[in-house]
Amino acid sequence: MTMRMTRRNVLAGGAALLSYSMLASSALSQEARLRMLWWGSQARADRTNKVNQLFQSENPGVAINGEFLGWSDYWPRLATQVAGRNAPDIIQMDYRYIVEYARRGALAPLNDYLGSVLKVEDFDQVQIEGGSVDGKLYGISLGANSATMLVNTVAFEEAGVELPTPSTTWDEMARIGAEITKAGKRKGYFGLSDGSGVEPLLENWLRQRGKALFTAEGKIAYDANDAAEWFSMWAAMREAKACVPPDIQALDQFNVETSPLSLGKAATSYAHSNQLVAYQGINKDKLALRSHPLIGKDAKGGHYRKPSMFFSVSAQTKDPELGAKYVNFFVTNPNAAEVLGVERGVPESKAVREALAPTLDELGRAALDYVSGLGPLAGLLPPPPPSGAGEAELALRTVAEQVGFGQLDVKQGGETLVNEVTQILSRG
Amino acid sequence: MAAVQDSAVAIGAGARRRPAAQGRLAALWTNHGAGYMFLLPWLVGFFGLTLGPAVASLYLSFTSFDLIRSPEWVGAANYVRIATADPKFAASLKVTFLYVVLSVPFKLAFALFVAILLDRGVKGLTVYRAIFYLPSLLGGSVAIAVLWRQLFAGDGLINSLLAQFGIEGPSWISHPDYSIWTLVVLSVWQFGSPMIIFLAGLRQIPTDMYEAASLDGASKFRQFYKITLPLLTPVIFFNAVVQTIEAFKAFTPAFIISGGTGGPINSTLFYTLYLYQEAFGNFRMGYASALAWILVLIIGLFTAFSFLTSRYWVHYDD
Repeated sequence: MTMRMTRRNVLAGGAALLSYSMLASSALSQEARLRMLWWGSQARADRTNKVNQLFQSENPGVAINGEFLGWSDYWPRLATQVAGRNAPDIIQMDYRYIVEYARRGALAPLNDYLGSVLKVEDFDQVQIEGGSVDGKLYGISLGANSATMLVNTVAFEEAGVELPTPSTTWDEMARIGAEITKAGKRKGYFGLSDGSGVEPLLENWLRQRGKALFTAEGKIAYDANDAAEWFSMWAAMREAKACVPPDIQALDQFNVETSPLSLGKAATSYAHSNQLVAYQGINKDKLALRSHPLIGKDAKGGHYRKPSMFFSVSAQTKDPELGAKYVNFFVTNPNAAEVLGVERGVPESKAVREALAPTLDELGRAALDYVSGLGPLAGLLPPPPPSGAGEAELALRTVAEQVGFGQLDVKQGGETLVNEVTQILSRG
Repeated sequence: MAAVQDSAVAIGAGARRRPAAQGRLAALWTNHGAGYMFLLPWLVGFFGLTLGPAVASLYLSFTSFDLIRSPEWVGAANYVRIATADPKFAASLKVTFLYVVLSVPFKLAFALFVAILLDRGVKGLTVYRAIFYLPSLLGGSVAIAVLWRQLFAGDGLINSLLAQFGIEGPSWISHPDYSIWTLVVLSVWQFGSPMIIFLAGLRQIPTDMYEAASLDGASKFRQFYKITLPLLTPVIFFNAVVQTIEAFKAFTPAFIISGGTGGPINSTLFYTLYLYQEAFGNFRMGYASALAWILVLIIGLFTAFSFLTSRYWVHYDD
């Protein structure tokens, strides 16, 4: 089967060559075409399309067709296109899926273009490694972000409580949450969103305890006691009305529009720093970014700077070099950087970051300051999540709801979660 | 020599046969050609878009296929996992059965009720028919599911109405005890197509039967029970089978209302939604194909069961 695929690829490659030579002979149609696909909001699409125009004006004869979708529609579309041998040339890739796609041979390794077409020498080395799988480079990071707590500053002010600081603990956060709810300045309003089913938040909490979600070998890296303690912390917050009740939390589909913060139900939400732009776009009150609370006064932070997303080049593309050239333009061209801002995260290139800083608006500044100001709260980048990580995230959400609605107690919740995640990961 | 003779005979036979065969073909073409041409779009659709993919999915159901690498033959492993080691399969089956059992009877009863009202010679019948049919046309769409989400959310219209009576409703769509009911209500609301068929069925019942019955002093309820229902059983049977199959295949409302998760706590994890998650969320197209064939089997069994039992309650007027 594999054999035949290869032969077909060779044939396709031959056909492509043939058509290229024919194209070259006719002056009319010298166009090379790049198809690209990304997920995101309209704001992201506008910025991306502008950059594409810049690239086309610098590279006459290249046409770029961009398409974008929401996160949940994006992955089915990409999977079917790849399966149908119709993959886009440039693929926006997430840290969560890069291992799956790379190991299955859907992405082109970019090592050959390093230094020649791809000029990413001033990138943070860790972030380059983040785009590598099994020693080969499959994705160029479009920016760094970090998990964050978004807070509605107006609601905090109304309730007369101080905004959390980098040294705020979970105990204090629970008290703050209860105070906001008790202040009752808004109808049906609670202090915090229920974060018990939010994977990046659990990860942050686990890292503060010296653990992680997954080991480098792709196994579960916490035990039932950790999970039970996590659930019991949130159970106490629900009890104290520090966070929203479960039927409000369950409305959250883990996107910008349906989070309790955006629905006007709670004063916090848990997200990634580059999402501030999108969140602020649909929230009237001024939002701010805060680091996640600490498990104790002298605890180490659980944050890390993460590649927000990558551009990968499809293994099915006719012209990987052109793909690499485009990606290089996207991450290193100063004009492109000015258009993109920090909407996809803080640029990895030092030169670009320095050129960009003075041109940023207030939101961009806030995101940049947050990521670069994490300081000792930020630790090492964990290894890329294993196959099945997406399923494990859904399992966390489901078990957290079972505990929230009282179908399981916190101890059962901890055991169920660890069992399910272990099973999911063993299936791969 | 013999061989030459044979071949000569064969050629001769072929030569003799050919005009006859051509003649038959030509006759077939002149008689039915137009018909086949008209059928062509359907034939292409059936073989290309229905039968072909179905055969492919049957093959894939015996493979491990991650959508990107080539499928790998695994025998019955997918079916074994469904039968022995998949709690989510059981959970999704339970939700789907619950949905079928709740939505089909309610929907049919409501459709029949409206059909009878409309049958009683209402002015502007055609307008009402169109209006009542509208939700069925819109029902499967994403927009309606989104609307439903708005209606049944914690601060949606439903709870605003309840608040008028001093009742504080939960967030219907996001509470595991109620979420399935909002989907049932959505399904009942799309009663238009069985209603139209009921209406046609009601029109078939001769009015002199009712006249005779009322002369004999039978009450309206008795007339309904003794005349309308028995004579309508073939139509009820048809509607029940079609709606049951539709309910088993329901996908869009649950997908939109739960954001594709089947939550809260798998309470809206329809079978087709789970199938979709496995195929496109978890890259297990082979396993999802096996799930699809199990669904075909279940729907087939249900339909066969309906047909087998139908002889005891469906009355044909002959």
